[in-house]
Amino acid sequence: MRLDEVAIVGVGLTPQVKRSEKNSLQVALDAARLALADAGLRHTDVDGIAARWPGPGGTELAPGSADWSTLLGVPLGWIGDSYPQGVPALVDAAGAILTGQATTVLITGGQAGVLGGGTVAAYTRPGNEFVEPFGAFTATHFALVAQRHLARFPHARRGMAEIAATIRNTGSVNPAAVMHGRGPYTADDVLTAPPVVDPFTLLDLCLASEGGAAVVVTTLERARDLPHPPVVLLGAGMEWLRQQYVDPARYEQVWSIGSAAARKAFGQAGLGPSDVDVAQLYDVNSLEVARQFEALGFCGEGEGTDFALATGIGADGKLPTCTDGGLLSFSHIGWGAPTLKLAEAVHQVRGTAGDRQIARAEIALAAGAGSGAQYYNLALLGRAR
Amino acid sequence: MTELTAGFWSAAERRELVRPVCGDCGRNFFTPQIACPECLSENWSYEPSSGCGRVYSATVVHKASTPGVEVPFHLGIVDLDEGWSMLTTLVGSRLPAIDAPVEVTWLERDGRTVPAFRETA
Repeated sequence: MRLDEVAIVGVGLTPQVKRSEKNSLQVALDAARLALADAGLRHTDVDGIAARWPGPGGTELAPGSADWSTLLGVPLGWIGDSYPQGVPALVDAAGAILTGQATTVLITGGQAGVLGGGTVAAYTRPGNEFVEPFGAFTATHFALVAQRHLARFPHARRGMAEIAATIRNTGSVNPAAVMHGRGPYTADDVLTAPPVVDPFTLLDLCLASEGGAAVVVTTLERARDLPHPPVVLLGAGMEWLRQQYVDPARYEQVWSIGSAAARKAFGQAGLGPSDVDVAQLYDVNSLEVARQFEALGFCGEGEGTDFALATGIGADGKLPTCTDGGLLSFSHIGWGAPTLKLAEAVHQVRGTAGDRQIARAEIALAAGAGSGAQYYNLALLGRAR
Repeated sequence: MTELTAGFWSAAERRELVRPVCGDCGRNFFTPQIACPECLSENWSYEPSSGCGRVYSATVVHKASTPGVEVPFHLGIVDLDEGWSMLTTLVGSRLPAIDAPVEVTWLERDGRTVPAFRETA
């Protein structure tokens, strides 16, 4: 079997909301049901699962973890502990399928009932003794990278605001987005929003929301009998520099993170950046979108914001980016958020994105993590050839 | 605090800044790890730092991650002269620029003495 004989055949997203009445295990199970129904499969068809989570699911002997084989009522041939979900889970699932350990893998996760009000989400601030006393959280790590970049390329600040406004406006017209109906925004709205951590304002930064996301992965042979056109894995790459959010990210080390992963993924696929039709970049903040254009080879260093503006990253642009509204406007569900990127990539490639559908979306890029996180991953997805 | 980091915090109680230095290859590193990231030797010890360095990056935090923290405050990465670096608080009324020389100072925070840095006069 080859890499492109691994296919995503089902996608399931629960409603994405600011605060859910459910718990994380419930939304993960809800998303799993939806993804299996979308795939035209039953839970008894599943023989592998990647449901890693700091609760729920997974195989860890930890409070809140669930036994998915009992939950689904099926014995499993393979279990994944992928960290986080999204692309790393897809790569693990592909490995399980290619080595014959499983034929149909469920990837599911999400978060619900975990976000409090008034402060940043708990998962963004590890309780580390060299982090906590100084008040750092996720966005501050990205900010310390951004400050050095902007010292070199000050013009990028305005472009960042344009990027944030564009992606938020894409989400504004998506009825499924957490921020549906909010906006439209201009770059000036982004620049004058309440500051969170310099250089970022509230509108430069992603959401913290709740919901579940799941995909079903199987063999292309099996996929051909299922309702939707199979979306196959053309290439993938991952980079792990350091544990995230403890030792601070250094600009010179992390600004290009993803470049090696992109060379690997594009090499496997026999494609280049100009072949990408829709880019589900990991938009934890506005500058990360520009950074990924640079690191992944779409443009040179310091050119990311200009590239985004000249190319057009809205639905009517030459490179529609974060076509559901992204983490900035659609949803960000913790460690399950990377699966949202796979889900939207699959919808676009197989033509089931509804009013969001981009014409001729044959090759999609889905990404996870970023510079401040000190790891990165991406996958290229397309129609079966 | 762990067995690995107790030496750092007990020095901090005395307002002494220390960092791990490898006894085999001389590498400075931070945060403390079980072995030197250069040569994997476990033969390292805490040595006193001059507390002098330069700002690698700095930012103003306007929104606190937890209730009760006063905002705005200054957060930075400082590169120490001995060749190691740490995430830290930057004190002073204005945010130091990248590359500004800084020196260690100490804050009492939640019953613990923690290092912070201020621009060298």
